[in-house]
Amino acid sequence: MIGRLPALKGADMLAAAAWIALAFLPLGLNDWLRGDLATYFTYGIFAMSLAFVWGHCGLLCLGQGVFFGLGAYAMSVTTLGMLPGAPALISSWLGLVFAVVLPAVAAQLLGRFFFGGRGLHGAFFGIVTLALAFIAERAAINWDYLGGLNGLMNIPPINLGVNGGGFEIWDTTALYYLHLAVAFAVFAVLTWLLRSPYGTALAAIRDDEERTRSFGYDAAQYKTTAFSIGAAVAGLSGALFVAQFGFASPPLIGFKLSAEVLIWVALGGRGMLFAAFTGAILVRTLEGYLSETFGQYWLLALGLLFVLAVIVFPRGLIGEFLHRAGGWIDRQRRQTVRAGG
Amino acid sequence: MDAALTLALDAANYILILILIGLGLAVIFGLMNVINMAHGEFVMLGAYTLLTVKMAGGGFWLGIIAAPLVVGVVGLVIEEIVLRRIYGRVIDAILATWGLSIGLQQAVVLIFGPGSHSVSAPIDATVSILGAPYPVFRLVIMAIAVIVIVATFWVFLRTRIGLAARGVIANRAMASCLGINTRKLDRLTFSLGAALAGLAGAVVAPLISIDPLMGIGFLVPAFLAIIVGGLGSLSSLIVGGSLVGGTDTVAANLLSPVWAQVIVFAMAILVIRLFPRGVMGGRELGR
Repeated sequence: MIGRLPALKGADMLAAAAWIALAFLPLGLNDWLRGDLATYFTYGIFAMSLAFVWGHCGLLCLGQGVFFGLGAYAMSVTTLGMLPGAPALISSWLGLVFAVVLPAVAAQLLGRFFFGGRGLHGAFFGIVTLALAFIAERAAINWDYLGGLNGLMNIPPINLGVNGGGFEIWDTTALYYLHLAVAFAVFAVLTWLLRSPYGTALAAIRDDEERTRSFGYDAAQYKTTAFSIGAAVAGLSGALFVAQFGFASPPLIGFKLSAEVLIWVALGGRGMLFAAFTGAILVRTLEGYLSETFGQYWLLALGLLFVLAVIVFPRGLIGEFLHRAGGWIDRQRRQTVRAGG
Repeated sequence: MDAALTLALDAANYILILILIGLGLAVIFGLMNVINMAHGEFVMLGAYTLLTVKMAGGGFWLGIIAAPLVVGVVGLVIEEIVLRRIYGRVIDAILATWGLSIGLQQAVVLIFGPGSHSVSAPIDATVSILGAPYPVFRLVIMAIAVIVIVATFWVFLRTRIGLAARGVIANRAMASCLGINTRKLDRLTFSLGAALAGLAGAVVAPLISIDPLMGIGFLVPAFLAIIVGGLGSLSSLIVGGSLVGGTDTVAANLLSPVWAQVIVFAMAILVIRLFPRGVMGGRELGR
């Protein structure tokens, strides 16, 4: 089982080096690429939310896109001044709060039903969340308030003023660093959470729920909270995404995006947050170059690559690399210590 | 009264199709512990097989016969290349079949294009049932579905192969020790489940628009039918299919198709909370 690996020091070092590299990367990029990468960072945050829920808590959520979409729509509705009864309210800050709280509350309510009582296990949780994504998309398409099939357009960028009127973040370098900073903050908070006693309990529930429950842990409560945290992070990524993209439409809340994020996380690596983050960025970057050349063949290849990764590389391609390279670094360091001592 | 009767017939129609699709899903899950996310794509492939036969100048009924055969072979190939490598890894099996479903969708997009197609029903006539006019073709669909469902039950409950399959579901290791060729049985069952889905896709093809993404629209309600009914026995599928299909058709008629789906989903979630083993009891879901 991939999740049972101990924290690798070498892999951590590689991840830290990569974060620093990302901070200096814009120096060598043009405006267009910086903007693209800023978008991919929001996908990367989204991928970390799924890696947290799936890789670390064992909840295979096939409808994570629902929470991304909820966040995106919450942000859009708020900043467009469409809140019922408060048309003057267009605060980006309030939008971000709604985008985090709404998905978290939705996940909390759903979790009560999914995990309460005897609860849903493993595979069936996946199916129910898939059904949720399917229905959420249909609902968004048919809800005129949310713009129906066309979605909501002209969503303003993040505005630092208390209720609009302040500095607008639309410059690609600013967006790049904003999204990178949020991504790093999410990474740091989730990593801290996973290495705390709380995270240990979550891992224990993933590995053997029955046994953990018999130690007195309320597994349903833990899983519901973890599901909510994942949903909140997904909602945050959705909000950042629409604030840059300017356009919220039903595919953001449906099963297609849920499928894509699953592919990113599976190819990147579900066991490590950083592998999932880079998985999203790499797949999207490759897609940008390859989908024009290969058209529909690209998606076919991606689907089959996903199947291959599931069968042969359960750690994911990046996760496998980090695991091996990290292991190599650890061995080298141990030898150095031995030779020195 | 007429409207109610028509509605009841429409509901029966949908319920039978759901049972036909759910039958394959339930048996594959029971036997191999594989939740087949590509099952919706088998339905889609059945519809496209019919479309291909018709485009090639073949008749409708030839298409109906070809669909389960073609999809059955596709199932056989998938079992051989992918599935047999991941038996016993329930979650990985979901992911792999899901990846396959994306692959199959894209393959169909490449061959037939992303747009939707339609085929015409071979029978245009309507018949008067207690005064209400009803298309004969829909009655034919129901007859085919009933015959195939009964035949599947018969194979499962009355033949040696069915007995072997039930033995494997009850205890795979023991059945294997008693000399049952589980490998052959897995292959056969998966192929048969795929063929049933393919047939379902072909018979409903004239009633819907055929497009590469149509699979999920059948997969989701079929899964919900299994969740609502439970995995106790084949008859719990009939109950689950009736509850899901009936609720969906009636609510779609009275409110709207979207509300119908929301209501069915809410029903499924309530059932999960109140009856974790499905309304008919039996094996716990996902264990």
